[in-house]
Amino acid sequence: MKTIRIPVAMTLLLFVAACVTINVYFPAEAAQKAADRIIMDVYGEQPGNTAVPLEPQSRLHHNEMSFPVHALLNWFISPAHAEADISVNTPAIQQLQASMEKRHKQLAPYYKSGAIGMTLNGEVTLRDQKLVPLQDRNTIKSLISKENDDRSALYREIARANGHPEWESEIRAIFAKRWISNAPAGWWYKNTQGAWVQK
Amino acid sequence: MMFPWRRVRVALLLAPGLLVITALPGFAVDIVKLRLGTIAGAGWSAEAVSLQLNLLDERHAALLLQAQRVALPDGFGELSTLTLSCARAQITTTAVSCAEGTLKTQSTMLGQQHIQLTFRYQLDTGRIDTALRDIHACDGTLSLRARLSDTRWQIDATGTALSLPAVTRQLAATGIALPVVTGSAGLDVTAQLSGVSSQLQEADVEVRLLAEEVSDAAGSVAAENLDVSLHATVKAIATGMRVVLDLSGRQGALYIDPVYVEMPPQPLQINARFDWSSAGQQLLLHSLSYRHPGSVLVEGHGLFSLAADAPIRDLQLELRQANFPSLYDTYLRPWLYGSMLADLDTAGELSGVLYWEQGKLSRVSLDPVNLTVNDREGRFGLNAVTGRVRWSDTAVPARSELAWSSGSVFQVALGATDLVIDAGHDYIRLAQPVAIPVLDGALQVANFQLQRGADAALRWQFDGLLEPVSLSQLSLALGWPELAGKLSGVIPDVHYDNGDLEVGGVLLVRAFEGEVTLRNLKLQQPFGLVPRLQVDARADNIDLETLTRTFSFGRIEGRLDGRIEGLQLESWRPVAFDAVFATPEDDNSRHRISQKAVDNISSIGGGGVGGALSRSFLRFFKDFPYDRLGIRCRLERGICDMGGVAAAPEGYYLVKGRLLPPRLDVIGYADRVNWDTLIAQIMAVTARQEVRVE
Repeated sequence: MKTIRIPVAMTLLLFVAACVTINVYFPAEAAQKAADRIIMDVYGEQPGNTAVPLEPQSRLHHNEMSFPVHALLNWFISPAHAEADISVNTPAIQQLQASMEKRHKQLAPYYKSGAIGMTLNGEVTLRDQKLVPLQDRNTIKSLISKENDDRSALYREIARANGHPEWESEIRAIFAKRWISNAPAGWWYKNTQGAWVQK
Repeated sequence: MMFPWRRVRVALLLAPGLLVITALPGFAVDIVKLRLGTIAGAGWSAEAVSLQLNLLDERHAALLLQAQRVALPDGFGELSTLTLSCARAQITTTAVSCAEGTLKTQSTMLGQQHIQLTFRYQLDTGRIDTALRDIHACDGTLSLRARLSDTRWQIDATGTALSLPAVTRQLAATGIALPVVTGSAGLDVTAQLSGVSSQLQEADVEVRLLAEEVSDAAGSVAAENLDVSLHATVKAIATGMRVVLDLSGRQGALYIDPVYVEMPPQPLQINARFDWSSAGQQLLLHSLSYRHPGSVLVEGHGLFSLAADAPIRDLQLELRQANFPSLYDTYLRPWLYGSMLADLDTAGELSGVLYWEQGKLSRVSLDPVNLTVNDREGRFGLNAVTGRVRWSDTAVPARSELAWSSGSVFQVALGATDLVIDAGHDYIRLAQPVAIPVLDGALQVANFQLQRGADAALRWQFDGLLEPVSLSQLSLALGWPELAGKLSGVIPDVHYDNGDLEVGGVLLVRAFEGEVTLRNLKLQQPFGLVPRLQVDARADNIDLETLTRTFSFGRIEGRLDGRIEGLQLESWRPVAFDAVFATPEDDNSRHRISQKAVDNISSIGGGGVGGALSRSFLRFFKDFPYDRLGIRCRLERGICDMGGVAAAPEGYYLVKGRLLPPRLDVIGYADRVNWDTLIAQIMAVTARQEVRVE
């Protein structure tokens, strides 16, 4: 009897444990879409998906003749897309994105020349400083340092904005892939073996 | 320097000795051939050596010395098919000499060589004088003149148009830890070396480097159009070597990761005098001077132990003169990337001394003069900082005095301030209370103490009192609409812990004839990428007429109370709060709302009601009486949960009219409003107001 009772008890316990375990799955697909949107904006390309216009949900009941007069207000409500799986619409994220968009104009020629390359961890690095004139090397290093600070903050803020700070590394991993996928041909990136590859 | 001169001499002695014998009367010998086989010395050996003498007359002979392979000391490679010939060597009883000889060989290091040489060998003293010309070395030519006698030797060398990349390749091949560079750079070298047996006694080396463009493989050492001269003298002393170096950079640019130096119009000069003991891996620096005209002049002396964990054992480094911005731009900034000080506009001067004792930084004294530091992103700045900064790694604090003429934090102007500070091992504290002028008010600071924890985190705290600051100046400085009123407060416990700033006590804003109190103010990373602010605010008895006039919103008369709980700003924009503003229950002031104000509220609503009043008969009324007005908004995740002053059928009253005519109610129906849209609407309405004013 005993030998049977123990497995039964264990099974029950497992059941109970299973009941209290809440699995929150990382919405990879939504994160990828969000990443693509940000990356395309930073790269300065114009994809077709411009922001969905916010249509006021007008509910105007105005009757001039009625008394007392009601001035009716119709504050409009944001359409349902505000409830997307991954939200990237916070002041911090917008500010970081704007800062990266601005910096990208300075970085772009160095991506193209191969002086800067994209790493596996969603950052950029000085790949070959010989391609940068001597007097510009420290400027580039400063830009790279700022870009990486912004990127790290971006991944952290996206995770935070969605109420899951622990998603930061997954968001970083998605971005790492998407920075490379969305980059134009000719730019350099590190492959999984750690070798530089030209796209 | 190792050179087996003794063995060479043995070989050279042997040959003329035999020559003398063969030249004796009665021996009609014309040709002497000697097969010497393999001869060897310390670090070198020669295989299949043969010597041939063709006697020309009593005093002259043609000389031919051959060796199939000569292995040279480590790092110098080897020579093959070596042929030393002298068509007419002079032979006397005391000397053998050759005025025009040639040496042909294939060197693994220097390639095929065809060298012109002269030599003279003194038979009685053993002294050898030789000169070698046209040695092809490192894409240039090298000439050597050597004098060897007994164990003493002296070599004069001149290298012309040597290629720096080739020189670095060859030095690396001999095991010298120097970066190998590529590019185009020429070296002219003259050197006088002397020594006894294998020991270098003295050296005097002059080098002129003209580097058009040169870089190591990683690009971490590079130069462009560089013109540098180096003069070095080396002398053997009992403990090792005494070295005197003088380096002068005249033009071009040099990059040694991460520092980029452009040679100034007046030469950059480095002078150093030191003793090097290779046994103890110790460098005793008698004097160092680094002079970058227009930027820095540093002098120092000390002791370095290269094998130790902290190689700087003792050092006194005196910053005789440092000029900003050059000091910052060239020498400091490259180390500050990623920090708050990475992007500064600087000006002024600095001098001071840094001391290291027993491997640790022990004392610092810095004297800024009119030093100006302004963050390029406008977050902070100080102008004309002058004074003396002292720090010492001891229990006894060192006193510093600093004054600045003006400054700013987020564009809010700070006035002239004098600080007296005591600094110890890991803390700084204010020696006397100070009042820092802020716009037209002042921040009084007492008991300021800064501590650097074991985790390197920075912590500070102080007790403060904010003397009234005019809100109109503050709002303009922060780029807000101009507000009227005063900001003041008692803030007894302000503390900062590793990026997080907390303000205890209460800040009081006297504005719009009422009071706004701010409590629980917390700032995270105020200078960081994503600053966050939290605060609870309460407004009492605000006069709506003054408020609406300020924002030219349309006149509303009455009083207003409010509270904002848990206001959170992210990058200075609100992301969460729970706010309620309403007419106080017991308010008996005059309650009127103008037509324009009603229109504006309606326009913000966006439902197209704007102007509705002016189309109705109500247009004949300039304003309307109201009972109460109010608004509630709980902001979370970009959505504002709205409410008003009371529930209305299907919605809520924003303005609840009086019972008596003309009655006007403003009713809101939407209970969830997109915050960004709401703000955009408010901005549009206020912008329109400005246009109207014009």
